Amino acid sequence: MTEYAPQIRRLLALILAGFGLLFLVLTYWQVLMAPRLAADPNNQRQRLRLQRIKPGRAYTVDNQLVLDRQRGEKGWTAVYPQGRDFCHLTGYNAQSGLQKGLSDALFGQGVYANPWRDLLRGQPQGNDIVLTINAAAQKVATEELEGKRGAVVALDPTTGAVLALVSAPAYDPALVTSTTDEYELFRLDPQSPELNRALQGLYAPGSVFKVFTAAVALDLGLVNPRTEFTCRGRERVNNATVVCRRPAGHGTLDLNEAFYDSCNVVFAKLAAQIGIENFISYGKRFHLLDQADLALPSAAGRMYDFRGFKGKVALAEAGFGQGATMLSPLQVARLTAAIANRGQVLQPYLVEAVKSPEGVVVARGQAKALGQAVSPATAATLAGMMEQVVERGTGRGMGMSWTKVAAKTGSAEVRGKEPHAWFTCFAPADAPRYVVTVIVEHAGSGSEMALPIARRVLATLLEQSR
Amino acid sequence: MLTSTLVATLGMVLVCLAQDQSLLRALRVTTVGAGFVITSLILRPDGRGRDTHLLPYASLLCGLGVVLLWRIAPALASKQVVWMVLGLAALLATYWLVDDVAGLARWKYTAGALAVALLGVTMVLGIEVNGARLWLGIRDFFVFQPGEVAKVLMCLFLAGYVADKGPIIRAQVSFRPGVVLPGLKYVGPLILMVMFCLAIFVMQRDLGAAALFFGLFVAVTYLATGRKVYALLSVILFLAGMVAATRFFPHVSVRVGAWLNPWADAQGGGYQILQSLYSLAAGGVSGVGMGQGFPELLPAAGTDMIFSVAAEELGLAGTFALLLLYVLVTARSYSIAWRARHPYGALLAACLATVFGLQTLVIVGGCLRLVPLTGITLPFVSYGGTSVVVNFIALGLLLAVSRDCLPPSPDA
Repeated sequence: MTEYAPQIRRLLALILAGFGLLFLVLTYWQVLMAPRLAADPNNQRQRLRLQRIKPGRAYTVDNQLVLDRQRGEKGWTAVYPQGRDFCHLTGYNAQSGLQKGLSDALFGQGVYANPWRDLLRGQPQGNDIVLTINAAAQKVATEELEGKRGAVVALDPTTGAVLALVSAPAYDPALVTSTTDEYELFRLDPQSPELNRALQGLYAPGSVFKVFTAAVALDLGLVNPRTEFTCRGRERVNNATVVCRRPAGHGTLDLNEAFYDSCNVVFAKLAAQIGIENFISYGKRFHLLDQADLALPSAAGRMYDFRGFKGKVALAEAGFGQGATMLSPLQVARLTAAIANRGQVLQPYLVEAVKSPEGVVVARGQAKALGQAVSPATAATLAGMMEQVVERGTGRGMGMSWTKVAAKTGSAEVRGKEPHAWFTCFAPADAPRYVVTVIVEHAGSGSEMALPIARRVLATLLEQSR
Repeated sequence: MLTSTLVATLGMVLVCLAQDQSLLRALRVTTVGAGFVITSLILRPDGRGRDTHLLPYASLLCGLGVVLLWRIAPALASKQVVWMVLGLAALLATYWLVDDVAGLARWKYTAGALAVALLGVTMVLGIEVNGARLWLGIRDFFVFQPGEVAKVLMCLFLAGYVADKGPIIRAQVSFRPGVVLPGLKYVGPLILMVMFCLAIFVMQRDLGAAALFFGLFVAVTYLATGRKVYALLSVILFLAGMVAATRFFPHVSVRVGAWLNPWADAQGGGYQILQSLYSLAAGGVSGVGMGQGFPELLPAAGTDMIFSVAAEELGLAGTFALLLLYVLVTARSYSIAWRARHPYGALLAACLATVFGLQTLVIVGGCLRLVPLTGITLPFVSYGGTSVVVNFIALGLLLAVSRDCLPPSPDA
C-alpha cells in the first residue's frame, strides 16, 4: 500500500456511485418509462415488428383465398386476390378491416403468440383464418349491389355464422393504396366507400320492423293472427298521424293481413297496446341495441327514449319502424334469424377456424346463444305470417317453386328523398338455414328494389346446398 | 478462469445458433474464446501474485461484444475477432516487456510527448469521418485512432509525473494551510498538458474523449494532492467549460440541445438518442431476444450505441449483468492500485482504472440520456480495432502492476 491508497479508495467509491446511478436510470427507462416510450408516435418499432412477421392468409369456408401476403422491400405486405368482393372484410391496410380486427391471429400475437415455434422456424409466422363467408353468395351480392348504395347480410340462423357481408359502394383495396392521390380520392369520396354499411350503417328499418312489433304483441298474448283491427287509411294514434300505404284504408282486417299487406295503422295501434316498458325490454331481449362484436367496427342500434316528452308519438311510429328507431342491416338480419331460430338469439361470428401454418386448428368459431327473445310458439306463428308475405303479400316476387320462403319487405321513409328499400327473409321456411337481409339506400320500395337482390343471394345459397 | 472462458465461448455458440446462422460460421467466433484460453494458459500462475480475475471478466465482455457485433453486422464481428486476437498478443507482449513496472516511470516525458505529437498530427493530417477528425492512416486501407493510444500514453505520463513530483506538490499544499492553489510551477505543466489535449479534442469534435481526459485530470489532481477542493474546483471548471462550449461551438450546442429535448427534432438531432431510448424501452425486463431487435434503426449501432442494442435484445437482466461486469473490472483495477507496493504502480493502475470506469460511465450515460451522447467506445464490446488493442494493452499493464502487489484483503 502506498500513500495514495486513501484517495484511490474514494475514487473507486465515486465511480461506483456513478454506476449506481446508471443502474437506477436504466431501470427508469427499461421498466418505468417503457410503456410510454413504446407508445411514442416517433417510435416505429411496433409497426416494423409486425412487418417482420409473415402474416397468415384468410380463406372463405368454401376455400377461396381472400387475403394473401407477399414479401416486399420493407417486409410483408397484404395482397387481395378477391379485390372488391371482399373489400370491407379484408380492409385495405393493417389498420382496417379484419387485418386490424384479427391482427392477433394473423400475426401470431397476444393469445396466439408462440415464441418457441418462431425461434425454431427462424421466421415468425402468423395463423391462417377460415372465414364463415360463402364466397359465391358474397360475390353475387357484391355484383347485385354494383352501382348502388346499400348492404347485404346473410346469416346461418342455426349457428349465427355470417355467410355474406357486403357493403356498397365497394372499393379496390389494391388500387386505393397504390398512390396518395388514389387514397385521397377514396377517403374523400362523398359516397363513403370506406364505410361498412352492413355493420356501421344505421337506417330506419321501416316495415321490416313490423316483425319485431308483431313478435312482441304475439309473445305477450295481446293478439293472435286472427285478431281483427280497422284501418281508415289515415288515423291518429298516440297523437301521431299515421298514414297507411293504401290511402283509402284496409277497412276491417286481421293481424295476418295487416302483416302481409304491411298496414302502418294497425302496427301503430299495436305498439301503443304493447306499451313503453315492454317495447324496450323486448328490444333488449332481441339484442337490437348491442354492437355486433364481430372483429369489425359496428354501430349499436338506437331507439327513442319513449319515456321522454314525445315518447308516445315515437312509440306509435316505432311500431312500423319509423321515427327515431335506427338499426344496422346486421341487426335486422339478427332479428330475422331469431324468428327463424325458434325465438333464440345467437351471437353472430365471422371466423370459422384459426389454423396454425402447419394446418392445426388453434381456435374454432361456434354458436353462442344469447338468450330466448320470444317463445318458440310465437316464433313459429310469426314465421307462418312471414310465409304469407311471400304467398300473397308484398313479397310475392320472392316465390320459389322448390322451397318456401318467409320474408318481410320494407320501405323506410326518408324526408325529402326516395325511401330506403328493405327486404329480409329466411328459407326454407319450415327448416330455416339461411337468412338474407338487403337494404338499398334511397331506391324506392323494398319489394321492387331489394327483393330481387335477396332472391338471387338466397338462390345462390340454396343451390349450393342442394 | 478456464471455466469462465469456456462458459463465454459456449454462450457465443448458443446465441449464434439461435440467430439462425450456420454453426460453422458461428464457430469462427469461438476463436476469441480459444485466444483467451491460450493466453491464460501462457500466463499460468507465476508465483508473483498476478491478478486472476481481470482476464475472465474481459473474456466475458469480449464474447458478448463479438456476439452483439455478429448480430449487427457479421463482417464487423469477423474483423473484431482478428483485432481481439491481436489485442491478446499485445497484452502478452506488454506483460512480458514490462517486467519491472517502476522502470516504466522513466518514459513519462516520452509518453507525454508522444501523446501530444499523436494528437497534434491527427489534428493536421487526420482523416475526417462524420465530421470528426479522429483517424490517422490511409483511408479504406488502414486507419487507427490516435486518441485511444493517447489515452494510455497519458496515463503513463500522469502516473510518472505525479509519482515523481507528488511529494513536492503535497508539501507545497500542506505548508501553506490558508492557500488553496499549489504552486503553479508544479501544477502548471499538468494543467497545460491537459488543456492542450482538451483543445485538440474540442477542435477535433471528439467531445467524449475530451470529457474523459478532463475526468482523468480531475482524478489525478485529487490523487496527487489528496484534497477534494481541487476536484470540486475542476468539476465547476468543467461545467463552465461545457456551458461555454455550448455557446461557442455549434456542433456542441446541437448535441446538448438534442440531449435536453430530443423530441424537438425527433428526425434530426434527437433521432439517435430517441432511438436509443426506444431500444431500452423495447427491451424491458427480459429483452426481446437475440436477433429480434432493431439495431438497424440505431446510428452507430456497432460502436457508440452498442449498449442500447444489448439493452433491447437482452433487457434489463442483460444490461444489469453487463454493467456488473464493468463494475467488477473497475473495482478490481482500483483494488490493484490500492494494493500496489510502489507509488508509480499504484498511480498507473488508478489512472487506467479511472479511464476504464469513466469511459463506461460516459458512453452508457450517453445511451441513457443521463449525459449528452458522445462518440466513444464501450470498452471491449464496441467495434474498433485501436480501441480493442489499446484496451488489451491497458489490461496488460494492469496485470503487470498486479504482480508483486499485496494479497487482496478479505474486504477488497
